[in-house]
Amino acid sequence: MSAVPVLRVSNLTKRFHGVTTLDQVYLDVHAGQIVALIGPSGCGKSTLLRCLTWLEQPDDGFIEVAGKPLGRELMPGGVVRRHSRRQIDALRPQVGIVFQQFHLWPHMTALENVVRPQTVVLGRSRDEATRRGAELLMRLGLADRMDRHPHALSGGQKQRVAIARALAMDPALMLFDEPTSALDPELVGEVLAVLRTLADIGMTMLVVTHEIGFAASLADRIAFMDRGRILEEGPARDILAAPKEPRLQSFLDLVRTDHRIVRTTANPTE
Amino acid sequence: MHFDPAILVDYWPLLLQGAWLTLQVSVAALLLGYAAGIAVALIALTPGWLPRLVAGFYVEILRNIPFIIILFVVYYGLPFWGIRLPATLVGTVALALFASAYYAEIVRAAILALPRGQFESARAIGMSPANAMWHVVAPQILRALVPPSTNMTLTMMKESAVLSSITVPELTYQSLVVQGNTFAPFEVFAAVASIYWLIAAAIAEASRRLERRVGAVQAEAVSRNRIADRYLSLVARRT
Repeated sequence: MSAVPVLRVSNLTKRFHGVTTLDQVYLDVHAGQIVALIGPSGCGKSTLLRCLTWLEQPDDGFIEVAGKPLGRELMPGGVVRRHSRRQIDALRPQVGIVFQQFHLWPHMTALENVVRPQTVVLGRSRDEATRRGAELLMRLGLADRMDRHPHALSGGQKQRVAIARALAMDPALMLFDEPTSALDPELVGEVLAVLRTLADIGMTMLVVTHEIGFAASLADRIAFMDRGRILEEGPARDILAAPKEPRLQSFLDLVRTDHRIVRTTANPTE
Repeated sequence: MHFDPAILVDYWPLLLQGAWLTLQVSVAALLLGYAAGIAVALIALTPGWLPRLVAGFYVEILRNIPFIIILFVVYYGLPFWGIRLPATLVGTVALALFASAYYAEIVRAAILALPRGQFESARAIGMSPANAMWHVVAPQILRALVPPSTNMTLTMMKESAVLSSITVPELTYQSLVVQGNTFAPFEVFAAVASIYWLIAAAIAEASRRLERRVGAVQAEAVSRNRIADRYLSLVARRT
Protein backbone atom coordinates (compact mmCIF):
# COMPACT_ATOMS: atom_id res chain seq x y z
CA MET A 1 0.00 0.00 0.00
CA SER A 2 1.41 3.32 -1.04
CA ALA A 3 2.33 5.82 1.63
CA VAL A 4 0.24 8.77 0.50
CA PRO A 5 -3.50 8.01 0.33
CA VAL A 6 -5.43 9.34 -2.67
CA LEU A 7 -7.91 10.84 -0.27
CA ARG A 8 -7.26 11.76 3.32
CA VAL A 9 -10.02 13.34 5.34
CA SER A 10 -9.22 14.42 8.85
CA ASN A 11 -11.40 15.92 11.53
CA LEU A 12 -13.90 17.14 8.94
CA THR A 13 -16.79 18.97 10.57
CA LYS A 14 -19.75 20.68 8.99
CA ARG A 15 -22.60 22.42 10.76
CA PHE A 16 -25.80 23.78 9.25
CA HIS A 17 -27.47 26.38 11.46
CA GLY A 18 -26.06 24.80 14.58
CA VAL A 19 -26.86 21.21 13.57
CA THR A 20 -23.71 19.14 13.20
CA THR A 21 -24.02 17.22 9.93
CA LEU A 22 -20.43 16.02 9.82
CA ASP A 23 -18.80 15.38 13.16
CA GLN A 24 -15.03 14.95 13.06
CA VAL A 25 -14.91 12.62 10.09
CA TYR A 26 -11.67 10.73 9.44
CA LEU A 27 -11.30 8.65 6.29
CA ASP A 28 -8.43 7.42 4.15
CA VAL A 29 -8.87 6.00 0.67
CA HIS A 30 -5.81 4.43 -0.89
CA ALA A 31 -4.95 4.12 -4.56
CA GLY A 32 -7.04 1.56 -6.42
CA GLN A 33 -9.44 1.00 -3.55
CA ILE A 34 -13.20 1.08 -3.77
CA VAL A 35 -14.71 2.31 -0.54
CA ALA A 36 -18.45 2.14 -0.01
CA LEU A 37 -19.94 4.65 2.37
CA ILE A 38 -23.13 3.31 3.91
CA GLY A 39 -25.51 4.55 6.54
CA PRO A 40 -29.11 5.59 7.17
CA SER A 41 -30.46 8.51 5.17
CA GLY A 42 -29.65 11.90 6.61
CA CYS A 43 -26.49 10.59 8.25
CA GLY A 44 -24.23 12.97 6.30
CA LYS A 45 -23.02 10.77 3.43
CA SER A 46 -24.01 13.21 0.70
CA THR A 47 -22.80 16.19 2.71
CA LEU A 48 -19.40 14.51 2.96
CA LEU A 49 -19.24 14.18 -0.84
CA ARG A 50 -20.28 17.81 -1.27
CA CYS A 51 -17.52 18.87 1.11
CA LEU A 52 -14.99 16.77 -0.81
CA THR A 53 -15.81 18.78 -3.96
CA TRP A 54 -15.97 21.98 -1.93
CA LEU A 55 -19.58 22.61 -2.96
CA GLU A 56 -20.06 22.93 0.79
CA GLN A 57 -17.33 24.49 2.85
CA PRO A 58 -16.55 22.40 5.92
CA ASP A 59 -16.35 24.38 9.14
CA ASP A 60 -13.34 22.51 10.38
CA GLY A 61 -10.88 19.83 9.36
CA PHE A 62 -8.75 19.03 6.36
CA ILE A 63 -9.00 17.29 3.00
CA GLU A 64 -6.00 16.04 1.06
CA VAL A 65 -6.21 14.75 -2.49
CA ALA A 66 -3.12 12.80 -3.57
CA GLY A 67 -1.12 14.58 -0.93
CA LYS A 68 -2.31 18.06 -1.91
CA PRO A 69 -4.49 20.01 0.51
CA LEU A 70 -7.92 21.08 -0.73
CA GLY A 71 -9.60 24.21 0.55
CA ARG A 72 -7.40 24.89 3.54
CA GLU A 73 -4.11 23.69 4.89
CA LEU A 74 -2.21 23.57 8.10
CA MET A 75 0.92 25.69 7.88
CA PRO A 76 3.99 25.23 10.05
CA GLY A 77 3.29 26.81 13.41
CA GLY A 78 -0.30 25.64 13.47
CA VAL A 79 -1.72 28.42 11.30
CA VAL A 80 -4.61 27.41 9.06
CA ARG A 81 -4.41 29.00 5.64
CA ARG A 82 -7.55 29.20 3.52
CA HIS A 83 -7.14 28.63 -0.18
CA SER A 84 -8.32 31.10 -2.79
CA ARG A 85 -11.15 30.19 -5.14
CA ARG A 86 -8.59 29.75 -7.93
CA GLN A 87 -6.54 27.29 -5.91
CA ILE A 88 -9.64 25.27 -5.11
CA ASP A 89 -10.83 25.31 -8.73
CA ALA A 90 -7.40 24.15 -9.86
CA LEU A 91 -7.62 21.03 -7.70
CA ARG A 92 -11.28 20.26 -8.40
CA PRO A 93 -10.73 18.29 -11.64
CA GLN A 94 -8.74 15.84 -9.52
CA VAL A 95 -11.94 14.84 -7.75
CA GLY A 96 -14.51 13.54 -10.23
CA ILE A 97 -18.06 13.41 -8.98
CA VAL A 98 -21.07 11.65 -10.45
CA PHE A 99 -24.17 13.17 -8.93
CA GLN A 100 -27.25 11.22 -8.01
CA GLN A 101 -29.21 13.09 -10.71
CA PHE A 102 -26.13 13.26 -13.00
CA HIS A 103 -26.65 16.98 -13.78
CA LEU A 104 -25.67 16.65 -17.41
CA TRP A 105 -25.93 19.88 -19.38
CA PRO A 106 -29.06 19.48 -21.50
CA HIS A 107 -28.12 22.02 -24.17
CA MET A 108 -25.02 20.05 -25.19
CA THR A 109 -24.68 16.66 -26.87
CA ALA A 110 -23.27 13.75 -24.89
CA LEU A 111 -19.90 14.27 -26.52
CA GLU A 112 -19.95 18.03 -25.91
CA ASN A 113 -20.72 17.40 -22.23
CA VAL A 114 -17.44 15.52 -22.06
CA VAL A 115 -15.45 17.83 -24.33
CA ARG A 116 -16.38 21.28 -22.98
CA PRO A 117 -14.89 20.96 -19.46
CA GLN A 118 -11.64 19.69 -20.93
CA THR A 119 -11.24 22.73 -23.18
CA VAL A 120 -12.48 25.25 -20.61
CA VAL A 121 -10.82 23.90 -17.47
CA LEU A 122 -7.75 22.04 -18.66
CA GLY A 123 -7.12 24.17 -21.74
CA ARG A 124 -6.96 21.17 -24.05
CA SER A 125 -7.38 21.78 -27.76
CA ARG A 126 -10.77 20.89 -29.22
CA ASP A 127 -9.26 18.09 -31.28
CA GLU A 128 -7.53 16.54 -28.33
CA ALA A 129 -10.58 16.90 -26.09
CA THR A 130 -12.84 15.38 -28.75
CA ARG A 131 -10.50 12.46 -29.23
CA ARG A 132 -10.36 11.81 -25.51
CA GLY A 133 -14.11 12.25 -25.07
CA ALA A 134 -14.99 9.94 -27.96
CA GLU A 135 -12.58 7.33 -26.68
CA LEU A 136 -14.13 7.37 -23.20
CA LEU A 137 -17.73 7.29 -24.46
CA MET A 138 -16.80 4.42 -26.76
CA ARG A 139 -15.26 2.49 -23.92
CA LEU A 140 -18.43 3.03 -21.87
CA GLY A 141 -20.54 1.62 -24.69
CA LEU A 142 -21.94 4.92 -25.97
CA ALA A 143 -20.30 4.97 -29.40
CA ASP A 144 -23.67 5.45 -31.13
CA ARG A 145 -25.03 7.95 -28.60
CA MET A 146 -22.39 10.67 -28.75
CA ASP A 147 -24.47 13.10 -30.80
CA ARG A 148 -27.57 12.71 -28.65
CA HIS A 149 -28.67 15.30 -26.17
CA PRO A 150 -29.16 14.10 -22.59
CA HIS A 151 -32.97 13.98 -22.74
CA ALA A 152 -32.70 11.45 -25.56
CA LEU A 153 -30.64 9.12 -23.40
CA SER A 154 -31.81 6.52 -20.90
CA GLY A 155 -30.94 6.90 -17.23
CA GLY A 156 -28.11 4.38 -17.46
CA GLN A 157 -26.70 6.11 -20.53
CA LYS A 158 -26.86 9.51 -18.83
CA GLN A 159 -24.96 8.11 -15.91
CA ARG A 160 -22.24 6.79 -18.18
CA VAL A 161 -21.94 10.18 -19.89
CA ALA A 162 -21.59 11.76 -16.44
CA ILE A 163 -18.88 9.22 -15.62
CA ALA A 164 -17.08 9.96 -18.90
CA ARG A 165 -17.32 13.70 -18.22
CA ALA A 166 -15.57 13.27 -14.87
CA LEU A 167 -13.03 10.72 -16.17
CA ALA A 168 -11.98 13.02 -19.01
CA MET A 169 -10.44 15.33 -16.42
CA ASP A 170 -8.06 12.51 -15.42
CA PRO A 171 -9.14 12.56 -11.76
CA ALA A 172 -7.19 10.90 -8.98
CA LEU A 173 -10.43 9.93 -7.29
CA MET A 174 -14.03 9.36 -8.33
CA LEU A 175 -16.99 10.03 -6.07
CA PHE A 176 -20.39 8.49 -6.68
CA ASP A 177 -23.51 9.72 -4.93
CA GLU A 178 -26.09 6.92 -4.76
CA PRO A 179 -25.29 5.55 -8.23
CA THR A 180 -28.18 3.07 -8.15
CA SER A 181 -30.97 5.18 -6.73
CA ALA A 182 -31.94 7.23 -9.78
CA LEU A 183 -32.10 4.15 -12.00
CA ASP A 184 -34.52 1.27 -12.43
CA PRO A 185 -33.71 -1.63 -10.11
CA GLU A 186 -32.85 -3.94 -13.01
CA LEU A 187 -30.04 -1.58 -14.00
CA VAL A 188 -28.14 -2.12 -10.76
CA GLY A 189 -26.17 -4.92 -12.39
CA GLU A 190 -25.24 -2.62 -15.24
CA VAL A 191 -23.98 0.10 -12.86
CA LEU A 192 -22.00 -2.54 -11.03
CA ALA A 193 -20.39 -3.66 -14.29
CA VAL A 194 -19.46 -0.09 -15.21
CA LEU A 195 -17.91 0.60 -11.81
CA ARG A 196 -16.03 -2.71 -12.04
CA THR A 197 -14.48 -1.66 -15.37
CA LEU A 198 -13.32 1.50 -13.66
CA ALA A 199 -11.83 -0.61 -10.90
CA ASP A 200 -10.02 -2.70 -13.52
CA ILE A 201 -8.20 0.37 -14.81
CA GLY A 202 -7.14 1.12 -11.25
CA MET A 203 -9.52 3.99 -10.49
CA THR A 204 -9.90 4.92 -6.85
CA MET A 205 -13.53 5.33 -5.83
CA LEU A 206 -15.66 6.42 -2.96
CA VAL A 207 -19.24 5.30 -3.45
CA VAL A 208 -22.13 6.48 -1.33
CA THR A 209 -24.90 3.91 -1.32
CA HIS A 210 -27.66 2.57 0.85
CA GLU A 211 -27.81 -0.74 -0.96
CA ILE A 212 -25.87 -3.19 1.15
CA GLY A 213 -25.86 -5.85 -1.56
CA PHE A 214 -24.39 -3.37 -4.00
CA ALA A 215 -21.75 -2.32 -1.50
CA ALA A 216 -20.92 -5.94 -0.69
CA SER A 217 -20.38 -6.97 -4.28
CA LEU A 218 -18.39 -3.87 -5.23
CA ALA A 219 -16.35 -2.49 -2.39
CA ASP A 220 -12.99 -3.45 -0.95
CA ARG A 221 -13.77 -1.55 2.19
CA ILE A 222 -16.92 -0.27 3.80
CA ALA A 223 -17.31 2.77 6.01
CA PHE A 224 -20.44 3.04 8.12
CA MET A 225 -21.69 6.50 8.93
CA ASP A 226 -24.33 7.55 11.42
CA ARG A 227 -25.24 10.97 12.76
CA GLY A 228 -22.32 12.62 11.01
CA ARG A 229 -19.63 10.25 12.22
CA ILE A 230 -17.86 7.32 10.68
CA LEU A 231 -18.46 4.69 13.32
CA GLU A 232 -16.81 1.71 11.72
CA GLU A 233 -14.53 1.21 8.74
CA GLY A 234 -12.79 -1.89 7.46
CA PRO A 235 -12.62 -4.65 4.84
CA ALA A 236 -16.08 -5.16 3.31
CA ARG A 237 -16.36 -8.80 4.30
CA ASP A 238 -15.49 -8.17 7.95
CA ILE A 239 -17.86 -5.24 8.25
CA LEU A 240 -20.81 -7.15 6.87
CA ALA A 241 -20.06 -10.48 8.54
CA ALA A 242 -19.04 -9.27 11.96
CA PRO A 243 -20.12 -5.70 12.67
CA LYS A 244 -18.83 -4.53 16.01
CA GLU A 245 -20.73 -1.31 16.36
CA PRO A 246 -24.26 -1.92 17.70
CA ARG A 247 -25.74 0.82 15.49
CA LEU A 248 -24.21 -0.81 12.41
CA GLN A 249 -25.64 -4.16 13.54
CA SER A 250 -29.13 -2.77 13.86
CA PHE A 251 -28.77 -0.87 10.57
CA LEU A 252 -27.75 -4.07 8.77
CA ASP A 253 -30.58 -6.00 10.44
CA LEU A 254 -33.06 -3.38 9.38
CA VAL A 255 -31.85 -3.24 5.77
CA ARG A 256 -31.73 -7.03 5.44
CA THR A 257 -35.18 -7.43 6.95
CA ASP A 258 -36.51 -4.81 4.56
CA HIS A 259 -35.10 -6.75 1.64
CA ARG A 260 -36.78 -9.94 2.75
CA ILE A 261 -40.13 -8.20 3.06
CA VAL A 262 -39.81 -6.67 -0.37
CA ARG A 263 -38.93 -10.03 -1.89
CA THR A 264 -41.77 -11.96 -0.29
CA THR A 265 -44.36 -9.37 -1.28
CA ALA A 266 -42.99 -9.15 -4.81
CA ASN A 267 -42.95 -12.92 -5.36
CA PRO A 268 -45.66 -14.47 -3.20
CA THR A 269 -44.98 -17.91 -4.67
CA GLU A 270 -41.49 -18.03 -3.25
CA MET B 1 -66.27 69.75 -35.91
CA HIS B 2 -64.52 67.42 -38.30
CA PHE B 3 -61.28 65.44 -38.52
CA ASP B 4 -58.73 67.46 -40.49
CA PRO B 5 -55.95 65.27 -41.94
CA ALA B 6 -54.32 68.31 -43.58
CA ILE B 7 -52.65 69.07 -40.24
CA LEU B 8 -50.79 65.78 -40.40
CA VAL B 9 -49.77 66.39 -43.98
CA ASP B 10 -48.10 69.64 -42.91
CA TYR B 11 -46.46 68.41 -39.76
CA TRP B 12 -45.52 64.79 -40.44
CA PRO B 13 -41.73 65.47 -40.64
CA LEU B 14 -41.79 66.73 -37.05
CA LEU B 15 -43.69 63.69 -35.82
CA LEU B 16 -41.36 61.38 -37.76
CA GLN B 17 -38.32 63.03 -36.15
CA GLY B 18 -39.92 62.49 -32.76
CA ALA B 19 -40.70 58.86 -33.52
CA TRP B 20 -37.14 58.25 -34.67
CA LEU B 21 -35.75 59.71 -31.45
CA THR B 22 -38.19 57.68 -29.35
CA LEU B 23 -36.94 54.54 -31.09
CA GLN B 24 -33.28 55.52 -30.65
CA VAL B 25 -33.69 56.39 -26.98
CA SER B 26 -35.59 53.15 -26.32
CA VAL B 27 -33.00 50.95 -28.01
CA ALA B 28 -30.14 52.72 -26.22
CA ALA B 29 -31.92 52.37 -22.87
CA LEU B 30 -32.62 48.70 -23.63
CA LEU B 31 -28.94 47.93 -24.27
CA LEU B 32 -27.65 50.06 -21.41
CA GLY B 33 -30.37 48.89 -19.02
CA TYR B 34 -29.89 45.22 -19.86
CA ALA B 35 -26.14 45.40 -19.34
CA ALA B 36 -26.72 47.02 -15.94
CA GLY B 37 -29.52 44.54 -15.19
CA ILE B 38 -27.29 41.53 -15.85
CA ALA B 39 -24.57 43.02 -13.66
CA VAL B 40 -27.03 43.70 -10.81
CA ALA B 41 -28.51 40.18 -11.11
CA LEU B 42 -25.04 38.61 -10.90
CA ILE B 43 -24.17 40.77 -7.90
CA ALA B 44 -27.45 39.76 -6.24
CA LEU B 45 -26.52 36.08 -6.67
CA THR B 46 -22.97 36.44 -5.34
CA PRO B 47 -22.60 34.58 -2.05
CA GLY B 48 -22.48 36.76 1.03
CA TRP B 49 -24.94 39.22 2.52
CA LEU B 50 -23.29 42.44 1.36
CA PRO B 51 -23.59 42.03 -2.43
CA ARG B 52 -27.17 40.81 -2.00
CA LEU B 53 -27.99 43.83 0.12
CA VAL B 54 -26.43 46.27 -2.35
CA ALA B 55 -28.24 44.73 -5.34
CA GLY B 56 -31.50 44.54 -3.39
CA PHE B 57 -31.20 48.20 -2.46
CA TYR B 58 -30.63 49.18 -6.09
CA VAL B 59 -33.65 47.25 -7.32
CA GLU B 60 -35.97 48.34 -4.52
CA ILE B 61 -35.17 52.03 -4.88
CA LEU B 62 -35.63 52.13 -8.63
CA ARG B 63 -38.76 49.99 -8.62
CA ASN B 64 -40.54 51.88 -5.88
CA ILE B 65 -40.25 55.39 -7.30
CA PRO B 66 -42.38 56.70 -10.20
CA PHE B 67 -40.31 57.05 -13.33
CA ILE B 68 -40.98 60.78 -13.62
CA ILE B 69 -39.44 61.31 -10.18
CA ILE B 70 -36.37 59.23 -11.08
CA LEU B 71 -36.06 61.39 -14.17
CA PHE B 72 -36.32 64.66 -12.22
CA VAL B 73 -33.86 63.50 -9.56
CA VAL B 74 -31.29 62.65 -12.22
CA TYR B 75 -31.99 65.67 -14.40
CA TYR B 76 -31.93 68.24 -11.61
CA GLY B 77 -29.46 66.29 -9.45
CA LEU B 78 -26.58 66.21 -11.92
CA PRO B 79 -26.20 70.03 -12.22
CA PHE B 80 -26.21 70.06 -8.44
CA TRP B 81 -22.88 68.20 -8.66
CA GLY B 82 -21.67 70.44 -11.46
CA ILE B 83 -22.42 67.96 -14.25
CA ARG B 84 -24.24 69.38 -17.25
CA LEU B 85 -25.31 66.96 -19.95
CA PRO B 86 -27.75 67.19 -22.85
CA ALA B 87 -31.33 66.39 -21.87
CA THR B 88 -31.55 63.50 -24.34
CA LEU B 89 -28.54 61.80 -22.78
CA VAL B 90 -29.80 62.33 -19.23
CA GLY B 91 -33.23 61.06 -20.24
CA THR B 92 -31.78 57.92 -21.83
CA VAL B 93 -29.69 57.16 -18.75
CA ALA B 94 -32.68 57.66 -16.45
CA LEU B 95 -34.77 55.38 -18.63
CA ALA B 96 -32.01 52.77 -18.59
CA LEU B 97 -31.76 52.98 -14.79
CA PHE B 98 -35.51 52.53 -14.47
CA ALA B 99 -35.58 49.50 -16.80
CA SER B 100 -32.40 47.95 -15.38
CA ALA B 101 -34.07 47.24 -12.03
CA TYR B 102 -36.74 45.16 -13.75
CA TYR B 103 -34.29 43.50 -16.15
CA ALA B 104 -32.16 42.55 -13.13
CA GLU B 105 -35.13 40.81 -11.54
CA ILE B 106 -35.96 39.02 -14.81
CA VAL B 107 -32.40 37.73 -15.18
CA ARG B 108 -32.14 36.79 -11.50
CA ALA B 109 -35.40 34.86 -11.60
CA ALA B 110 -34.35 33.00 -14.77
CA ILE B 111 -31.04 31.97 -13.22
CA LEU B 112 -32.74 30.83 -10.01
CA ALA B 113 -35.29 28.83 -11.98
CA LEU B 114 -32.53 26.66 -13.41
CA PRO B 115 -31.81 23.59 -11.24
CA ARG B 116 -28.91 24.36 -8.94
CA GLY B 117 -27.17 21.17 -9.99
CA GLN B 118 -26.41 22.69 -13.38
CA PHE B 119 -24.19 25.40 -11.93
CA GLU B 120 -22.80 23.09 -9.26
CA SER B 121 -21.76 20.36 -11.67
CA ALA B 122 -19.88 22.96 -13.72
CA ARG B 123 -18.19 24.32 -10.58
CA ALA B 124 -17.37 20.87 -9.21
CA ILE B 125 -15.51 19.95 -12.39
CA GLY B 126 -13.33 23.05 -12.01
CA MET B 127 -15.02 25.78 -14.05
CA SER B 128 -14.80 29.28 -12.60
CA PRO B 129 -18.13 30.94 -11.70
CA ALA B 130 -17.86 33.08 -14.86
CA ASN B 131 -17.23 30.03 -17.07
CA ALA B 132 -20.03 28.08 -15.41
CA MET B 133 -22.37 31.00 -16.10
CA TRP B 134 -21.22 31.40 -19.70
CA HIS B 135 -21.03 27.76 -20.79
CA VAL B 136 -23.76 26.17 -18.71
CA VAL B 137 -26.26 28.66 -17.27
CA ALA B 138 -26.56 31.38 -19.93
CA PRO B 139 -27.38 29.14 -22.92
CA GLN B 140 -30.17 27.51 -20.93
CA ILE B 141 -31.93 30.65 -19.73
CA LEU B 142 -31.85 32.72 -22.96
CA ARG B 143 -35.25 31.63 -24.16
CA ALA B 144 -36.95 32.15 -20.81
CA LEU B 145 -35.63 35.72 -20.77
CA VAL B 146 -37.29 36.84 -24.00
CA PRO B 147 -41.01 37.14 -23.08
CA PRO B 148 -40.66 39.03 -19.77
CA SER B 149 -37.91 41.22 -21.21
CA THR B 150 -40.19 42.11 -24.11
CA ASN B 151 -42.93 43.20 -21.71
CA MET B 152 -40.52 45.39 -19.83
CA THR B 153 -39.09 46.87 -23.03
CA LEU B 154 -42.58 47.81 -24.23
CA THR B 155 -43.37 49.43 -20.89
CA MET B 156 -40.06 51.27 -20.96
CA MET B 157 -40.60 52.49 -24.54
CA LYS B 158 -44.00 53.91 -23.59
CA GLU B 159 -42.55 55.44 -20.45
CA SER B 160 -40.08 57.35 -22.65
CA ALA B 161 -42.98 59.74 -23.35
CA VAL B 162 -42.21 61.21 -19.92
CA LEU B 163 -38.88 62.49 -21.30
CA SER B 164 -40.93 65.22 -23.00
CA SER B 165 -41.14 66.89 -19.59
CA ILE B 166 -37.37 67.59 -19.63
CA THR B 167 -37.51 68.84 -23.25
CA VAL B 168 -36.20 65.73 -24.99
CA PRO B 169 -37.64 66.19 -28.50
CA GLU B 170 -39.09 62.69 -28.75
CA LEU B 171 -42.48 61.75 -30.13
CA THR B 172 -44.67 63.08 -27.30
CA TYR B 173 -42.73 66.36 -27.12
CA GLN B 174 -43.11 66.89 -30.86
CA SER B 175 -46.80 66.08 -30.69
CA LEU B 176 -47.21 68.76 -28.01
CA VAL B 177 -45.40 71.22 -30.30
CA VAL B 178 -47.61 70.35 -33.25
CA GLN B 179 -50.70 70.54 -31.10
CA GLY B 180 -49.64 73.97 -29.83
CA ASN B 181 -49.18 75.22 -33.37
CA THR B 182 -52.37 73.79 -34.80
CA PHE B 183 -54.83 73.68 -31.88
CA ALA B 184 -55.95 70.31 -33.24
CA PRO B 185 -55.25 67.93 -30.35
CA PHE B 186 -57.44 65.07 -31.52
CA GLU B 187 -55.83 64.70 -34.94
CA VAL B 188 -52.34 64.97 -33.49
CA PHE B 189 -52.78 62.57 -30.59
CA ALA B 190 -54.66 60.05 -32.70
CA ALA B 191 -51.71 60.06 -35.11
CA VAL B 192 -49.21 59.82 -32.26
CA ALA B 193 -51.10 56.93 -30.69
CA SER B 194 -50.84 55.03 -33.98
CA ILE B 195 -47.13 55.75 -34.21
CA TYR B 196 -46.54 54.44 -30.67
CA TRP B 197 -48.57 51.39 -31.58
CA LEU B 198 -46.37 50.84 -34.65
CA ILE B 199 -43.16 51.10 -32.63
CA ALA B 200 -44.54 48.67 -30.06
CA ALA B 201 -45.61 46.26 -32.78
CA ALA B 202 -42.12 46.43 -34.26
CA ILE B 203 -40.56 45.60 -30.88
CA ALA B 204 -42.98 42.72 -30.36
CA GLU B 205 -42.20 41.35 -33.82
CA ALA B 206 -38.46 41.61 -33.21
CA SER B 207 -38.96 39.74 -29.96
CA ARG B 208 -40.95 36.99 -31.69
CA ARG B 209 -38.14 36.52 -34.18
CA LEU B 210 -35.54 36.48 -31.43
CA GLU B 211 -37.54 33.94 -29.47
CA ARG B 212 -37.85 31.73 -32.52
CA ARG B 213 -34.13 31.93 -33.14
CA VAL B 214 -33.14 31.27 -29.55
CA GLY B 215 -35.83 28.59 -29.44
CA ALA B 216 -34.46 26.96 -32.59
CA VAL B 217 -31.20 26.28 -30.80
CA GLN B 218 -33.05 24.52 -28.01
CA ALA B 219 -35.57 22.84 -30.30
CA GLU B 220 -32.69 21.33 -32.22
CA ALA B 221 -31.96 19.38 -29.09
CA VAL B 222 -35.52 18.07 -28.99
CA SER B 223 -35.69 17.13 -32.66
CA ARG B 224 -32.78 14.74 -32.23
CA ASN B 225 -35.09 12.60 -30.17
CA ARG B 226 -36.98 10.26 -32.49
CA ILE B 227 -40.04 10.04 -30.24
CA ALA B 228 -40.21 13.81 -29.78
CA ASP B 229 -39.77 14.14 -33.53
CA ARG B 230 -42.84 12.04 -34.22
CA TYR B 231 -45.00 13.89 -31.72
CA LEU B 232 -43.88 17.29 -32.89
CA SER B 233 -44.53 16.45 -36.53
CA LEU B 234 -48.00 15.11 -35.63
CA VAL B 235 -48.84 18.34 -33.88
CA ALA B 236 -47.49 20.32 -36.81
CA ARG B 237 -49.64 18.39 -39.26
CA ARG B 238 -52.80 18.84 -37.23
CA THR B 239 -52.47 22.60 -36.95
